[in-house]
Amino acid sequence: MDEEKKIRVIIAKPGLDGHDRGAKVLAFGLRDHGMEVIYTGRRQSAEKIVKAALQEDVDVIGLSCLSGAHLTFFPKVIDLLKEKKAEEILVIGGGIIPDDHIPILKEKGISEIFGPGTMMDEIVTYIREHVRK
Amino acid sequence: MDNDKKLEEVKKVRKVWEEKVRAPSAKRFRMEDRPTEFHSPDEIPDFDFLRDVGFPGQYPYTAAPYAVSLVPDIRRGSKPGGLRRAGGYSGYGTPEDTRDYYLEMKKLNWLGGPNLAQDLPTQCGYDSDNPEMEGEVGKVGVAVDTLRDFEVIFEAFTEKQELDKIATNVTNNAAASMMVSNYLSLADKRGVSWSKLKCTPQNDILKEFVSRGTYIYPPKPSMRMFRDSLVFFTEHLPGINITSIGGYHIREGGASREEELAFAMSIGIAYLQEGINAGVDIDDFAPKFTFNGFGGSLEVYKEIAFHRAARRMWAKIVKERFGAKNPNSMRIRVPIFAHIGCSSTTKQRALNNLSRGVVGGMAGVLSGGPPMAFPPYDEPLGLGWSLEARQLAEDATRILMYETNMCDVLDPFAGSYFMEALTTETEEAAWKEIDRIETMGGAVKAIETGYMQQAVSRSAADRQKKIDNRETLLVGVNCFTEDYELDVTTSKMIEHPYSEENRYAAEQKQITNLKEVKRTRDNREVTRLLKELEVAAKDESKNLMPLFIDLSKAYASLQEQCDVLRNIFGEWTTDSFL
Repeated sequence: MDEEKKIRVIIAKPGLDGHDRGAKVLAFGLRDHGMEVIYTGRRQSAEKIVKAALQEDVDVIGLSCLSGAHLTFFPKVIDLLKEKKAEEILVIGGGIIPDDHIPILKEKGISEIFGPGTMMDEIVTYIREHVRK
Repeated sequence: MDNDKKLEEVKKVRKVWEEKVRAPSAKRFRMEDRPTEFHSPDEIPDFDFLRDVGFPGQYPYTAAPYAVSLVPDIRRGSKPGGLRRAGGYSGYGTPEDTRDYYLEMKKLNWLGGPNLAQDLPTQCGYDSDNPEMEGEVGKVGVAVDTLRDFEVIFEAFTEKQELDKIATNVTNNAAASMMVSNYLSLADKRGVSWSKLKCTPQNDILKEFVSRGTYIYPPKPSMRMFRDSLVFFTEHLPGINITSIGGYHIREGGASREEELAFAMSIGIAYLQEGINAGVDIDDFAPKFTFNGFGGSLEVYKEIAFHRAARRMWAKIVKERFGAKNPNSMRIRVPIFAHIGCSSTTKQRALNNLSRGVVGGMAGVLSGGPPMAFPPYDEPLGLGWSLEARQLAEDATRILMYETNMCDVLDPFAGSYFMEALTTETEEAAWKEIDRIETMGGAVKAIETGYMQQAVSRSAADRQKKIDNRETLLVGVNCFTEDYELDVTTSKMIEHPYSEENRYAAEQKQITNLKEVKRTRDNREVTRLLKELEVAAKDESKNLMPLFIDLSKAYASLQEQCDVLRNIFGEWTTDSFL
């Protein structure tokens, strides 16, 4: 019997930002929807995140940052994925991202930003539709 | 006797009412599973006014911490209070940026000392020139690497606002002692006596592990640092508060109301115990404990009950468990009462947060204190978004203070069957949880094992589930979101004094300035002192505060000091508890 391969997700908090409620809630929520989720905890460097993502063979990287350091960290993760030829991994982000930074991040390769008040369904649907097959 | 008979009668009538009057109504209005509540005297048969409530400003402080309202009467010339400090909780960029910000805010009549927000590297014991700090310097607060940075910031506070005339808040926890040391060194340089200084460092490290995240060392050595501060402040700094305990952050992290209350009390117990263990008299240091605030929500009645229960519990803990005699030891000192909590605001139709804020402000009055229509509506829109939002939050607070006359009465719910039953229920649930934590070995143990952290994340996940399945309704987020609903927005007319350009340029500027400090200071002295710190830190019995002060004066950097301690205390890295 062919078992449908579960989508594997890593949720990470780059930098010093300590606000991990959203990241944790997302981890629980995605698990509830049948995905396999790893949560890295706080204070991850871009290098650590990418290393873990590759080690865990994930399909999705979710980055959470509320401290304003997203323009530094999110693109770094994308650059490292490019280096490792792992650009097929879907990268999404959340936290406190000013509206006018979203186009900048998308241009760098972040697929979507999910801000405060996003419903779980929206994120689950997005991942299922955009993850590599 | 007679009273018991009366209550029996009420019970009987109630039962009939529930079956014959309410049940059919509930059925008709489709709420059989949760009919509207009504409360009656039979719910509080053991109510004892003097024991359970008492009069405001005295044990057990259920009604209010003080005997009269804390609302300043501006008609009699009292200075306005509330949010109008030197720009509220603020600070960003370089010390020069923050100094200039405070000077700007003075023009808008922001009075008083700073409520200083520091950037994450400063809160986590790192220097601005650490390459791993790229992107973080000066973002969520001001960068403070050495004493020089305090000197610059406080150029905005001189003469009529000299250090002996202002009260300063410093929101730092893991490095609180270093920041206080900077403050003391600055006072020495300016010839201001330590006895005149008024300051509140947050210095509440345990909640950092539970929800806020700016820890450095593991819990046990962190408690040693706390002990050092408690002992030193008690002995030398009469105007400096030892701690500003947050239940607030724990609730914002996702804890339920009962969890927050229990965890905050347990953490308070752990801190109090440190003082006792160090041989300090409870009545000497307990009056110097404060609470930062508690969490909030839109559930007004429950928040009012929370505050009444919290005051009663802390009073009991300090008096009965720790044997305090001084009534000031037993009183919760907190600047804000019931409110909605920042996490109750929505980004969608953000102006609605003003309405929500007013609800919180009303709860504040009803919970024993002055109102605060907090936070301003722009909370979810980002730091430094709008001054207008702050103005409206202040005006909402003022309307509650001066137009409603609600503050003429303290604790109007006292004696209410509903509120007394709810207060007791809240308190009992919290005691149960505190007992559970005590059985585990106390707050520190409960944190080392991840118990508190997991409770918080589970509750957070629970709440999101309820939002997702619309058991919990959020206007504009999961209901009333159809196309015909107007997405009312507002624009900013006044430029916020935070300059985004400066914020992003701060890192390079600060690195340059730090390099200059390191070049021009007496580096031999710094090296010598750091070695002394290493020796002293290894000795549990040594109080490190005097060394932190010497290091501050020698312009040792924050990370230089923290790295010495990291080597000895270790670092806390276990935080992926789900």
